Amino acid sequence: MPSAIETEDLHKQYGDVHALKGVSLEVDEGEFFGLLGPNGAGKTTFINILVGLVAKSSGHAEVFGYDVEDDYQMARDAIGLAPQEFNVDRFFPIREVLVHKAGYHGVPKEVAVERADRVLKEVGIYDKRDTRFHFLSGGMKRRFMLARAMVTDPDLLILDEPTAGVDVQLRHDLWQLIERLNSEGTTILLTTHYIEEAEQLCDRVAIVDQGEVVEVETPDELMSRGSDTIYVTLRDPPETPPELEDDVLDAGMRDGDLVVRAEHGGRSLPGVVRSLDRAGHEILDVEIRRTTLEEVFVEVTDSLGDEALDDVREGFEEGAP
Amino acid sequence: MNIGGASASIPFTTGFRTLMRREILRYIRRPRNTFMPPLITNVLYFSVFGVILGERVGTVLGVEYILFLLPGLVVLGAISNSFENSSFSIFHGRWNEYIHATVTSPLSYTEMVLAYVLSSALRGVIIGVLIALVGAVFIRPVPVEHPVYLVAFMAVITTLFAALGVIGGLWARDFDYLTVMNQFILRPLVFFGGVFYSIRELPRTWELVSLLNPMVYMVNGVRYGFLGPEAVDVGPNVALVVLTTATVVVVAFDIYLFHRGYGLTE
Repeated sequence: MPSAIETEDLHKQYGDVHALKGVSLEVDEGEFFGLLGPNGAGKTTFINILVGLVAKSSGHAEVFGYDVEDDYQMARDAIGLAPQEFNVDRFFPIREVLVHKAGYHGVPKEVAVERADRVLKEVGIYDKRDTRFHFLSGGMKRRFMLARAMVTDPDLLILDEPTAGVDVQLRHDLWQLIERLNSEGTTILLTTHYIEEAEQLCDRVAIVDQGEVVEVETPDELMSRGSDTIYVTLRDPPETPPELEDDVLDAGMRDGDLVVRAEHGGRSLPGVVRSLDRAGHEILDVEIRRTTLEEVFVEVTDSLGDEALDDVREGFEEGAP
Repeated sequence: MNIGGASASIPFTTGFRTLMRREILRYIRRPRNTFMPPLITNVLYFSVFGVILGERVGTVLGVEYILFLLPGLVVLGAISNSFENSSFSIFHGRWNEYIHATVTSPLSYTEMVLAYVLSSALRGVIIGVLIALVGAVFIRPVPVEHPVYLVAFMAVITTLFAALGVIGGLWARDFDYLTVMNQFILRPLVFFGGVFYSIRELPRTWELVSLLNPMVYMVNGVRYGFLGPEAVDVGPNVALVVLTTATVVVVAFDIYLFHRGYGLTE
Protein backbone atom coordinates (compact mmCIF):
# COMPACT_ATOMS: atom_id res chain seq x y z
CA MET A 1 0.00 0.00 0.00
CA PRO A 2 1.49 3.37 -0.97
CA SER A 3 2.21 6.01 1.64
CA ALA A 4 -0.17 8.92 2.01
CA ILE A 5 2.71 11.26 1.21
CA GLU A 6 6.12 10.39 -0.10
CA THR A 7 8.67 12.96 -1.14
CA GLU A 8 12.24 12.48 -2.18
CA ASP A 9 14.91 15.14 -2.37
CA LEU A 10 12.32 17.87 -2.90
CA HIS A 11 13.78 21.26 -3.74
CA LYS A 12 12.22 24.66 -4.26
CA GLN A 13 14.18 27.70 -5.22
CA TYR A 14 12.74 31.24 -5.36
CA GLY A 15 15.50 33.23 -7.03
CA ASP A 16 18.31 33.24 -4.50
CA VAL A 17 16.15 31.80 -1.73
CA HIS A 18 16.31 28.05 -1.31
CA ALA A 19 12.95 27.41 0.38
CA LEU A 20 13.20 23.59 0.36
CA LYS A 21 16.59 21.90 0.38
CA GLY A 22 16.02 18.27 -0.45
CA VAL A 23 13.06 17.31 1.71
CA SER A 24 12.50 13.55 1.90
CA LEU A 25 9.47 12.54 3.95
CA GLU A 26 7.12 9.61 4.20
CA VAL A 27 3.72 9.89 5.89
CA ASP A 28 1.82 6.65 6.39
CA GLU A 29 -1.84 6.25 5.55
CA GLY A 30 -4.00 7.03 8.60
CA GLU A 31 -1.19 8.81 10.40
CA PHE A 32 -1.49 12.15 12.22
CA PHE A 33 1.70 13.84 11.09
CA GLY A 34 3.00 17.22 12.20
CA LEU A 35 5.30 19.58 10.39
CA LEU A 36 6.85 21.71 13.06
CA GLY A 37 8.93 24.75 12.35
CA PRO A 38 9.15 28.50 12.69
CA ASN A 39 7.73 30.90 10.12
CA GLY A 40 9.69 30.70 6.89
CA ALA A 41 10.91 27.15 7.54
CA GLY A 42 9.32 25.88 4.31
CA LYS A 43 6.20 24.19 5.70
CA THR A 44 3.70 25.99 3.46
CA THR A 45 5.93 25.62 0.41
CA PHE A 46 6.00 21.87 1.02
CA ILE A 47 2.21 21.73 1.24
CA ASN A 48 1.70 23.93 -1.79
CA ILE A 49 3.84 21.62 -3.90
CA LEU A 50 1.57 18.71 -2.93
CA VAL A 51 -1.62 20.55 -3.93
CA GLY A 52 -0.26 22.17 -7.08
CA LEU A 53 0.06 25.79 -5.99
CA VAL A 54 3.85 25.75 -6.15
CA ALA A 55 5.92 24.10 -8.86
CA LYS A 56 8.84 22.16 -7.43
CA SER A 57 12.32 22.96 -8.68
CA SER A 58 13.43 19.33 -8.52
CA GLY A 59 12.78 16.10 -6.66
CA HIS A 60 9.79 13.85 -6.45
CA ALA A 61 6.46 14.04 -4.61
CA GLU A 62 3.60 11.54 -4.49
CA VAL A 63 0.23 11.46 -2.75
CA PHE A 64 -1.17 7.95 -2.29
CA GLY A 65 1.21 6.81 -5.01
CA TYR A 66 0.16 9.49 -7.49
CA ASP A 67 2.80 11.89 -8.74
CA VAL A 68 1.68 15.42 -7.89
CA GLU A 69 2.52 16.66 -11.41
CA ASP A 70 2.09 13.70 -13.75
CA ASP A 71 -1.06 12.37 -12.01
CA TYR A 72 -2.14 15.74 -10.65
CA GLN A 73 -5.89 15.03 -10.90
CA MET A 74 -5.73 11.85 -8.85
CA ALA A 75 -3.35 13.37 -6.32
CA ARG A 76 -5.48 16.50 -5.86
CA ASP A 77 -8.68 14.50 -5.61
CA ALA A 78 -7.31 12.81 -2.49
CA ILE A 79 -6.46 16.06 -0.72
CA GLY A 80 -8.55 18.45 1.36
CA LEU A 81 -6.65 21.63 2.14
CA ALA A 82 -7.32 24.21 4.85
CA PRO A 83 -4.78 26.92 4.13
CA GLN A 84 -3.53 29.42 6.63
CA GLU A 85 -4.75 32.43 4.64
CA PHE A 86 -8.46 33.02 4.07
CA ASN A 87 -9.06 32.50 0.35
CA VAL A 88 -12.79 31.98 -0.07
CA ASP A 89 -15.00 32.86 -3.03
CA ARG A 90 -16.67 36.10 -1.97
CA PHE A 91 -19.45 36.07 -4.55
CA PHE A 92 -21.42 33.22 -2.99
CA PRO A 93 -22.87 32.26 0.40
CA ILE A 94 -20.71 29.74 2.22
CA ARG A 95 -23.04 26.81 1.63
CA GLU A 96 -22.82 27.35 -2.10
CA VAL A 97 -19.03 27.70 -1.91
CA LEU A 98 -18.96 24.24 -0.36
CA VAL A 99 -21.30 22.82 -3.00
CA HIS A 100 -19.02 24.21 -5.70
CA LYS A 101 -15.89 22.79 -4.08
CA ALA A 102 -17.46 19.34 -3.78
CA GLY A 103 -18.64 19.63 -7.38
CA TYR A 104 -15.10 20.31 -8.61
CA HIS A 105 -14.23 16.96 -7.05
CA GLY A 106 -16.94 15.23 -9.04
CA VAL A 107 -19.62 15.09 -6.35
CA PRO A 108 -23.10 15.43 -7.92
CA LYS A 109 -25.03 18.50 -6.82
CA GLU A 110 -27.64 16.74 -4.65
CA VAL A 111 -24.95 14.86 -2.74
CA ALA A 112 -22.80 17.99 -2.54
CA VAL A 113 -25.65 19.92 -0.90
CA GLU A 114 -26.09 17.18 1.73
CA ARG A 115 -22.37 17.14 2.39
CA ALA A 116 -22.20 20.92 2.65
CA ASP A 117 -24.96 20.90 5.26
CA ARG A 118 -23.28 18.06 7.15
CA VAL A 119 -19.86 19.71 7.41
CA LEU A 120 -21.37 23.09 8.29
CA LYS A 121 -23.15 21.37 11.19
CA GLU A 122 -19.98 19.57 12.19
CA VAL A 123 -18.00 22.79 12.46
CA GLY A 124 -20.94 24.57 14.10
CA ILE A 125 -21.82 27.28 11.59
CA TYR A 126 -24.85 25.76 9.86
CA ASP A 127 -27.06 28.68 10.83
CA LYS A 128 -24.71 30.94 8.85
CA ARG A 129 -25.05 28.85 5.69
CA ASP A 130 -26.60 31.66 3.62
CA THR A 131 -24.03 34.23 4.71
CA ARG A 132 -21.08 35.20 2.58
CA PHE A 133 -17.64 34.43 4.03
CA HIS A 134 -16.73 38.09 4.30
CA PHE A 135 -19.45 38.62 6.92
CA LEU A 136 -18.42 35.80 9.27
CA SER A 137 -16.53 36.44 12.49
CA GLY A 138 -12.85 35.45 12.72
CA GLY A 139 -13.58 32.20 14.54
CA MET A 140 -16.34 31.27 12.12
CA LYS A 141 -14.00 31.92 9.21
CA ARG A 142 -11.48 29.50 10.70
CA ARG A 143 -14.24 26.91 11.17
CA PHE A 144 -15.31 27.38 7.57
CA MET A 145 -11.80 26.77 6.28
CA LEU A 146 -11.93 23.36 7.92
CA ALA A 147 -15.43 22.70 6.55
CA ARG A 148 -14.26 23.43 3.01
CA ALA A 149 -11.36 21.03 3.41
CA MET A 150 -13.73 18.34 4.72
CA VAL A 151 -16.53 18.66 2.15
CA THR A 152 -14.76 16.52 -0.44
CA ASP A 153 -14.31 13.67 2.09
CA PRO A 154 -10.56 13.69 1.51
CA ASP A 155 -8.26 10.80 2.32
CA LEU A 156 -5.55 13.30 3.20
CA LEU A 157 -6.48 16.40 5.15
CA ILE A 158 -3.81 19.10 5.07
CA LEU A 159 -4.16 21.75 7.74
CA ASP A 160 -1.80 24.69 7.50
CA GLU A 161 -1.77 26.39 10.89
CA PRO A 162 -5.50 25.70 11.41
CA THR A 163 -5.66 27.26 14.85
CA ALA A 164 -3.59 30.37 14.18
CA GLY A 165 -5.05 33.24 16.15
CA VAL A 166 -8.14 31.44 17.50
CA ASP A 167 -9.32 31.38 21.12
CA VAL A 168 -8.81 28.45 23.47
CA GLN A 169 -12.35 27.10 23.18
CA LEU A 170 -12.31 27.07 19.41
CA ARG A 171 -8.84 25.55 19.38
CA HIS A 172 -10.11 22.64 21.46
CA ASP A 173 -13.23 22.26 19.29
CA LEU A 174 -11.07 22.09 16.18
CA TRP A 175 -8.67 19.63 17.83
CA GLN A 176 -11.56 17.34 18.75
CA LEU A 177 -12.94 17.42 15.23
CA ILE A 178 -9.57 16.76 13.63
CA GLU A 179 -8.83 13.91 16.04
CA ARG A 180 -12.19 12.35 15.20
CA LEU A 181 -11.49 12.52 11.48
CA ASN A 182 -8.11 10.90 12.06
CA SER A 183 -9.66 8.13 14.15
CA GLU A 184 -12.04 7.47 11.24
CA GLY A 185 -9.07 6.88 8.95
CA THR A 186 -8.25 10.26 7.43
CA THR A 187 -4.55 10.95 7.20
CA ILE A 188 -3.75 14.34 8.68
CA LEU A 189 -0.82 16.57 7.82
CA LEU A 190 -0.72 19.43 10.29
CA THR A 191 1.68 22.31 10.12
CA THR A 192 2.04 24.44 13.16
CA HIS A 193 4.48 26.47 15.12
CA TYR A 194 2.39 25.83 18.25
CA ILE A 195 4.55 23.10 19.72
CA GLU A 196 1.90 22.16 22.28
CA GLU A 197 -0.45 21.36 19.42
CA ALA A 198 1.99 18.97 17.79
CA GLU A 199 2.78 17.38 21.16
CA GLN A 200 -0.89 16.75 21.88
CA LEU A 201 -2.14 15.62 18.47
CA CYS A 202 0.57 14.10 16.33
CA ASP A 203 1.70 10.50 15.99
CA ARG A 204 4.95 11.71 14.48
CA VAL A 205 6.52 15.09 14.02
CA ALA A 206 9.00 16.37 11.46
CA ILE A 207 11.00 19.34 12.61
CA VAL A 208 11.65 21.58 9.65
CA ASP A 209 14.30 24.22 9.83
CA GLN A 210 15.37 26.51 7.02
CA GLY A 211 14.01 24.26 4.28
CA GLU A 212 15.38 21.01 5.69
CA VAL A 213 13.85 18.21 7.73
CA VAL A 214 16.02 18.08 10.82
CA GLU A 215 14.26 15.25 12.68
CA VAL A 216 11.30 12.90 12.25
CA GLU A 217 10.19 11.20 15.46
CA THR A 218 7.24 10.76 17.77
CA PRO A 219 6.73 13.61 20.25
CA ASP A 220 7.66 11.19 23.10
CA GLU A 221 10.88 10.15 21.39
CA LEU A 222 11.79 13.75 20.82
CA MET A 223 11.09 14.70 24.42
CA SER A 224 13.05 11.73 25.75
CA ARG A 225 16.09 13.09 23.95
CA GLY A 226 16.06 16.30 25.89
CA SER A 227 17.36 17.06 29.36
CA ASP A 228 15.42 17.64 32.62
CA THR A 229 16.04 20.38 35.13
CA ILE A 230 16.11 19.86 38.93
CA TYR A 231 15.55 22.94 41.11
CA VAL A 232 16.77 22.53 44.73
CA THR A 233 16.02 25.18 47.33
CA LEU A 234 18.65 25.14 50.12
CA ARG A 235 18.48 26.75 53.58
CA ASP A 236 21.92 28.34 53.24
CA PRO A 237 22.68 28.41 49.53
CA PRO A 238 26.36 28.53 48.66
CA GLU A 239 27.72 30.96 46.05
CA THR A 240 28.99 28.19 43.81
CA PRO A 241 27.32 24.81 43.24
CA PRO A 242 28.56 21.98 45.45
CA GLU A 243 30.31 18.91 44.03
CA LEU A 244 27.70 16.53 42.55
CA GLU A 245 27.76 12.94 41.29
CA ASP A 246 28.81 12.25 37.73
CA ASP A 247 25.41 11.64 36.03
CA VAL A 248 24.41 15.31 35.83
CA LEU A 249 25.10 17.41 32.75
CA ASP A 250 25.77 20.69 34.50
CA ALA A 251 24.82 22.65 37.61
CA GLY A 252 24.69 26.27 38.69
CA MET A 253 23.18 28.68 41.20
CA ARG A 254 20.22 30.84 40.12
CA ASP A 255 18.27 33.16 42.44
CA GLY A 256 19.50 31.22 45.47
CA ASP A 257 18.43 27.85 44.05
CA LEU A 258 20.68 25.08 42.88
CA VAL A 259 19.75 24.35 39.25
CA VAL A 260 20.89 20.97 37.96
CA ARG A 261 20.48 19.74 34.37
CA ALA A 262 20.35 15.97 33.87
CA GLU A 263 19.30 13.60 31.09
CA HIS A 264 16.74 11.94 33.39
CA GLY A 265 15.85 14.10 36.36
CA GLY A 266 14.13 11.33 38.33
CA ARG A 267 17.12 9.01 38.10
CA SER A 268 19.67 11.68 38.98
CA LEU A 269 17.77 13.17 41.92
CA PRO A 270 18.82 10.61 44.62
CA GLY A 271 22.49 11.19 43.74
CA VAL A 272 22.00 14.97 43.91
CA VAL A 273 20.35 14.66 47.34
CA ARG A 274 23.16 12.37 48.62
CA SER A 275 25.82 14.82 47.40
CA LEU A 276 24.10 17.73 49.11
CA ASP A 277 23.72 15.71 52.37
CA ARG A 278 27.40 14.85 52.32
CA ALA A 279 28.26 18.51 51.84
CA GLY A 280 26.05 19.38 54.85
CA HIS A 281 23.34 21.32 52.98
CA GLU A 282 19.76 21.33 54.28
CA ILE A 283 17.22 20.86 51.48
CA LEU A 284 13.98 22.88 51.78
CA ASP A 285 12.30 22.04 48.45
CA VAL A 286 12.90 20.04 45.27
CA GLU A 287 11.21 20.38 41.88
CA ILE A 288 11.87 18.53 38.63
CA ARG A 289 10.80 20.16 35.40
CA ARG A 290 10.33 17.74 32.57
CA THR A 291 11.68 18.51 29.14
CA THR A 292 9.17 20.19 26.88
CA LEU A 293 8.98 19.67 23.17
CA GLU A 294 9.71 23.34 22.87
CA GLU A 295 13.08 22.88 24.55
CA VAL A 296 13.88 19.90 22.36
CA PHE A 297 12.85 21.92 19.36
CA VAL A 298 15.19 24.72 20.33
CA GLU A 299 18.01 22.27 20.95
CA VAL A 300 17.47 20.53 17.62
CA THR A 301 17.26 23.74 15.68
CA ASP A 302 20.03 25.51 17.52
CA SER A 303 21.12 27.09 14.27
CA LEU A 304 17.96 29.20 14.18
CA GLY A 305 18.28 32.95 14.28
CA ASP A 306 16.88 34.97 17.19
CA GLU A 307 13.85 36.05 15.20
CA ALA A 308 12.85 32.50 14.41
CA LEU A 309 13.29 31.48 18.02
CA ASP A 310 11.06 34.33 19.08
CA ASP A 311 8.40 33.01 16.72
CA VAL A 312 8.62 29.60 18.30
CA ARG A 313 8.42 30.92 21.84
CA GLU A 314 5.58 33.23 20.94
CA GLY A 315 3.76 30.36 19.28
CA PHE A 316 4.32 28.21 22.34
CA GLU A 317 2.93 30.84 24.68
CA GLU A 318 -0.06 31.68 22.49
CA GLY A 319 -0.74 28.05 21.72
CA ALA A 320 -0.77 26.85 25.30
CA PRO A 321 -4.27 25.62 26.04
CA MET B 1 -11.59 9.23 -3.29
CA ASN B 2 -14.31 10.47 -5.59
CA ILE B 3 -12.37 10.80 -8.83
CA GLY B 4 -15.64 11.56 -10.60
CA GLY B 5 -14.31 14.96 -11.56
CA ALA B 6 -10.89 13.70 -12.36
CA SER B 7 -11.20 11.74 -15.53
CA ALA B 8 -9.58 13.63 -18.38
CA SER B 9 -11.02 11.19 -20.90
CA ILE B 10 -14.65 12.06 -20.07
CA PRO B 11 -15.59 15.52 -21.32
CA PHE B 12 -18.03 17.74 -19.45
CA THR B 13 -17.65 16.01 -16.12
CA THR B 14 -19.40 17.07 -12.94
CA GLY B 15 -16.37 19.20 -12.08
CA PHE B 16 -16.48 21.02 -15.40
CA ARG B 17 -20.24 21.57 -15.15
CA THR B 18 -19.87 22.88 -11.61
CA LEU B 19 -17.24 25.42 -12.60
CA MET B 20 -19.36 26.45 -15.60
CA ARG B 21 -22.38 26.91 -13.32
CA ARG B 22 -20.35 28.89 -10.80
CA GLU B 23 -19.03 31.19 -13.51
CA ILE B 24 -22.45 31.73 -15.09
CA LEU B 25 -24.18 32.33 -11.73
CA ARG B 26 -21.55 34.91 -10.88
CA TYR B 27 -22.70 37.24 -13.65
CA ILE B 28 -26.36 36.20 -13.80
CA ARG B 29 -26.85 37.18 -10.16
CA ARG B 30 -25.27 40.59 -10.59
CA PRO B 31 -27.25 42.09 -13.48
CA ARG B 32 -26.64 45.64 -12.27
CA ASN B 33 -22.93 45.10 -12.82
CA THR B 34 -23.05 42.86 -15.84
CA PHE B 35 -26.14 43.42 -18.00
CA MET B 36 -27.40 46.90 -17.15
CA PRO B 37 -24.32 48.92 -18.22
CA PRO B 38 -24.22 47.61 -21.83
CA LEU B 39 -28.00 47.95 -22.08
CA ILE B 40 -27.91 51.60 -21.05
CA THR B 41 -24.86 52.34 -23.22
CA ASN B 42 -26.54 50.84 -26.27
CA VAL B 43 -29.79 52.69 -25.71
CA LEU B 44 -27.63 55.83 -25.87
CA TYR B 45 -25.74 54.61 -28.97
CA PHE B 46 -28.96 53.87 -30.83
CA SER B 47 -30.56 57.15 -29.73
CA VAL B 48 -27.65 59.46 -30.54
CA PHE B 49 -25.86 57.74 -33.44
CA GLY B 50 -28.78 55.84 -34.88
CA VAL B 51 -31.70 58.22 -34.55
CA ILE B 52 -30.29 61.74 -34.19
CA LEU B 53 -27.18 61.46 -36.40
CA GLY B 54 -28.58 58.62 -38.49
CA GLU B 55 -31.20 60.82 -40.04
CA ARG B 56 -28.45 63.11 -41.37
CA VAL B 57 -26.17 60.26 -42.51
CA GLY B 58 -28.95 58.56 -44.47
CA THR B 59 -27.76 55.19 -45.82
CA VAL B 60 -24.47 53.28 -45.77
CA LEU B 61 -23.87 50.49 -48.31
CA GLY B 62 -27.52 50.74 -49.22
CA VAL B 63 -29.01 50.32 -45.74
CA GLU B 64 -30.32 52.79 -43.19
CA TYR B 65 -27.52 53.99 -40.92
CA ILE B 66 -29.21 52.76 -37.74
CA LEU B 67 -29.55 49.31 -39.28
CA PHE B 68 -25.94 49.40 -40.50
CA LEU B 69 -24.91 50.32 -36.95
CA LEU B 70 -26.70 47.45 -35.20
CA PRO B 71 -24.36 44.51 -36.04
CA GLY B 72 -21.30 46.56 -35.07
CA LEU B 73 -22.80 47.43 -31.70
CA VAL B 74 -23.69 43.79 -31.15
CA VAL B 75 -20.06 42.83 -31.84
CA LEU B 76 -18.72 45.63 -29.67
CA GLY B 77 -20.85 44.59 -26.69
CA ALA B 78 -20.39 40.86 -27.16
CA ILE B 79 -16.61 40.76 -27.43
CA SER B 80 -16.04 43.41 -24.74
CA ASN B 81 -18.13 41.44 -22.28
CA SER B 82 -16.61 38.08 -23.20
CA PHE B 83 -13.14 39.48 -22.68
CA GLU B 84 -14.05 41.34 -19.53
CA ASN B 85 -15.75 38.34 -17.96
CA SER B 86 -12.93 35.84 -18.27
CA SER B 87 -10.17 38.34 -17.52
CA PHE B 88 -11.99 39.72 -14.46
CA SER B 89 -13.08 36.35 -13.12
CA ILE B 90 -9.60 34.88 -13.30
CA PHE B 91 -7.80 37.97 -12.10
CA HIS B 92 -10.22 38.57 -9.22
CA GLY B 93 -9.84 34.94 -8.18
CA ARG B 94 -6.06 35.29 -8.29
CA TRP B 95 -6.10 38.61 -6.47
CA ASN B 96 -8.17 37.16 -3.61
CA GLU B 97 -6.62 33.71 -4.02
CA TYR B 98 -9.96 31.89 -4.12
CA ILE B 99 -9.01 30.55 -7.53
CA HIS B 100 -6.87 28.17 -5.45
CA ALA B 101 -10.05 26.20 -4.71
CA THR B 102 -10.32 25.52 -8.44
CA VAL B 103 -6.63 25.06 -9.14
CA THR B 104 -6.21 22.52 -6.31
CA SER B 105 -9.21 20.52 -7.53
CA PRO B 106 -9.00 17.43 -9.71
CA LEU B 107 -10.32 19.25 -12.78
CA SER B 108 -8.08 18.86 -15.82
CA TYR B 109 -6.48 22.02 -17.15
CA THR B 110 -8.59 21.64 -20.30
CA GLU B 111 -11.78 21.53 -18.25
CA MET B 112 -10.75 24.60 -16.27
CA VAL B 113 -10.00 26.61 -19.40
CA LEU B 114 -13.13 25.49 -21.25
CA ALA B 115 -15.33 26.35 -18.26
CA TYR B 116 -13.90 29.89 -18.02
CA VAL B 117 -13.97 30.41 -21.79
CA LEU B 118 -17.41 29.00 -22.57
CA SER B 119 -19.14 30.71 -19.63
CA SER B 120 -17.58 34.02 -20.68
CA ALA B 121 -18.49 33.47 -24.33
CA LEU B 122 -22.06 32.81 -23.22
CA ARG B 123 -22.12 36.16 -21.44
CA GLY B 124 -20.96 37.79 -24.67
CA VAL B 125 -23.72 36.08 -26.65
CA ILE B 126 -26.37 37.10 -24.07
CA ILE B 127 -25.16 40.71 -24.27
CA GLY B 128 -25.26 40.50 -28.08
CA VAL B 129 -28.86 39.28 -27.98
CA LEU B 130 -29.83 42.02 -25.50
CA ILE B 131 -28.28 44.69 -27.73
CA ALA B 132 -30.15 43.29 -30.73
CA LEU B 133 -33.36 43.49 -28.67
CA VAL B 134 -32.59 47.13 -27.79
CA GLY B 135 -32.02 47.70 -31.51
CA ALA B 136 -35.40 46.12 -32.22
CA VAL B 137 -37.04 48.90 -30.20
CA PHE B 138 -35.60 51.41 -32.66
CA ILE B 139 -35.69 49.31 -35.83
CA ARG B 140 -38.65 47.18 -36.82
CA PRO B 141 -38.12 44.56 -37.96
CA VAL B 142 -34.47 43.59 -37.39
CA PRO B 143 -33.58 41.40 -40.35
CA VAL B 144 -31.54 38.21 -40.02
CA GLU B 145 -30.55 37.29 -43.56
CA HIS B 146 -28.11 34.49 -42.78
CA PRO B 147 -28.84 33.04 -39.32
CA VAL B 148 -26.23 30.28 -39.62
CA TYR B 149 -23.48 32.81 -40.30
CA LEU B 150 -24.77 35.03 -37.55
CA VAL B 151 -24.69 32.21 -34.99
CA ALA B 152 -21.32 30.96 -36.21
CA PHE B 153 -19.66 34.38 -36.08
CA MET B 154 -21.15 35.19 -32.69
CA ALA B 155 -20.00 31.86 -31.28
CA VAL B 156 -16.49 32.21 -32.70
CA ILE B 157 -15.79 35.84 -31.80
CA THR B 158 -17.13 35.57 -28.25
CA THR B 159 -15.10 32.39 -27.69
CA LEU B 160 -12.02 34.02 -29.16
CA PHE B 161 -12.29 37.06 -26.90
CA ALA B 162 -13.14 34.97 -23.86
CA ALA B 163 -9.98 32.97 -24.56
CA LEU B 164 -7.96 36.18 -24.94
CA GLY B 165 -9.47 37.34 -21.65
CA VAL B 166 -8.06 34.23 -19.95
CA ILE B 167 -4.57 35.31 -21.03
CA GLY B 168 -5.30 38.83 -19.77
CA GLY B 169 -6.56 37.51 -16.43
CA LEU B 170 -3.45 35.39 -15.96
CA TRP B 171 -1.10 38.15 -17.09
CA ALA B 172 -2.56 41.01 -15.04
CA ARG B 173 -0.70 41.98 -11.90
CA ASP B 174 -3.13 44.69 -10.89
CA PHE B 175 -6.63 45.92 -11.75
CA ASP B 176 -5.00 48.65 -13.86
CA TYR B 177 -3.83 46.00 -16.29
CA LEU B 178 -7.45 45.06 -17.04
CA THR B 179 -8.36 48.69 -17.68
CA VAL B 180 -5.36 49.13 -19.98
CA MET B 181 -6.26 46.06 -22.01
CA ASN B 182 -9.88 47.08 -22.39
CA GLN B 183 -9.52 50.80 -22.95
CA PHE B 184 -6.24 51.09 -24.85
CA ILE B 185 -6.16 47.92 -26.94
CA LEU B 186 -9.60 46.41 -27.35
CA ARG B 187 -11.73 49.52 -27.69
CA PRO B 188 -9.59 51.35 -30.32
CA LEU B 189 -9.44 48.20 -32.45
CA VAL B 190 -13.23 47.87 -32.28
CA PHE B 191 -13.88 51.54 -33.01
CA PHE B 192 -11.57 51.41 -36.04
CA GLY B 193 -13.05 48.09 -37.08
CA GLY B 194 -15.97 49.49 -39.04
CA VAL B 195 -18.59 49.53 -36.29
CA PHE B 196 -19.72 53.08 -37.10
CA TYR B 197 -18.69 53.35 -40.75
CA SER B 198 -17.95 51.34 -43.85
CA ILE B 199 -14.22 51.08 -44.50
CA ARG B 200 -14.96 51.71 -48.19
CA GLU B 201 -15.62 55.30 -47.22
CA LEU B 202 -12.02 55.69 -46.05
CA PRO B 203 -9.17 56.88 -48.30
CA ARG B 204 -7.64 53.89 -50.09
CA THR B 205 -4.56 53.74 -47.83
CA TRP B 206 -6.60 53.69 -44.64
CA GLU B 207 -8.97 51.17 -46.14
CA LEU B 208 -6.00 48.83 -46.72
CA VAL B 209 -4.66 49.52 -43.23
CA SER B 210 -8.09 48.75 -41.81
CA LEU B 211 -7.98 45.33 -43.45
CA LEU B 212 -5.16 44.46 -41.05
CA ASN B 213 -7.54 44.98 -38.16
CA PRO B 214 -9.16 41.64 -37.26
CA MET B 215 -12.21 43.46 -35.90
CA VAL B 216 -13.17 44.45 -39.46
CA TYR B 217 -13.73 40.79 -40.28
CA MET B 218 -15.70 40.14 -37.11
CA VAL B 219 -17.98 43.13 -37.62
CA ASN B 220 -18.41 42.23 -41.27
CA GLY B 221 -19.20 38.63 -40.44
CA VAL B 222 -21.96 39.53 -38.01
CA ARG B 223 -23.20 42.24 -40.38
CA TYR B 224 -23.38 39.63 -43.12
CA GLY B 225 -25.49 37.45 -40.83
CA PHE B 226 -27.93 40.29 -40.12
CA LEU B 227 -28.01 42.20 -43.40
CA GLY B 228 -26.68 39.95 -46.17
CA PRO B 229 -23.90 40.42 -48.74
CA GLU B 230 -24.83 43.94 -49.96
CA ALA B 231 -24.00 45.59 -46.63
CA VAL B 232 -20.50 44.21 -46.04
CA ASP B 233 -17.01 45.28 -47.08
CA VAL B 234 -15.44 41.81 -47.15
CA GLY B 235 -16.82 38.30 -47.54
CA PRO B 236 -17.50 36.09 -44.54
CA ASN B 237 -16.12 32.65 -45.40
CA VAL B 238 -12.37 33.18 -45.24
CA ALA B 239 -12.86 35.36 -42.16
CA LEU B 240 -14.82 32.60 -40.43
CA VAL B 241 -12.13 30.02 -41.13
CA VAL B 242 -9.33 32.34 -39.99
CA LEU B 243 -11.17 33.38 -36.84
CA THR B 244 -12.06 29.79 -35.97
CA THR B 245 -8.42 28.80 -36.39
CA ALA B 246 -7.33 31.73 -34.23
CA THR B 247 -9.85 30.70 -31.56
CA VAL B 248 -8.58 27.12 -31.45
CA VAL B 249 -4.98 28.37 -31.22
CA VAL B 250 -5.75 30.81 -28.40
CA VAL B 251 -7.74 28.23 -26.40
CA ALA B 252 -4.86 25.77 -26.81
CA PHE B 253 -2.48 28.47 -25.58
CA ASP B 254 -4.74 29.05 -22.55
CA ILE B 255 -4.54 25.36 -21.69
CA TYR B 256 -0.76 25.49 -22.07
CA LEU B 257 -0.60 28.47 -19.68
CA PHE B 258 -2.75 26.67 -17.10
CA HIS B 259 -0.58 23.60 -17.46
CA ARG B 260 2.53 25.69 -16.90
CA GLY B 261 0.83 27.38 -13.97
CA TYR B 262 1.45 30.83 -15.48
CA GLY B 263 0.05 33.39 -13.05
CA LEU B 264 -1.39 30.59 -10.92
CA THR B 265 1.55 28.87 -9.26
CA GLU B 266 4.70 30.27 -7.75
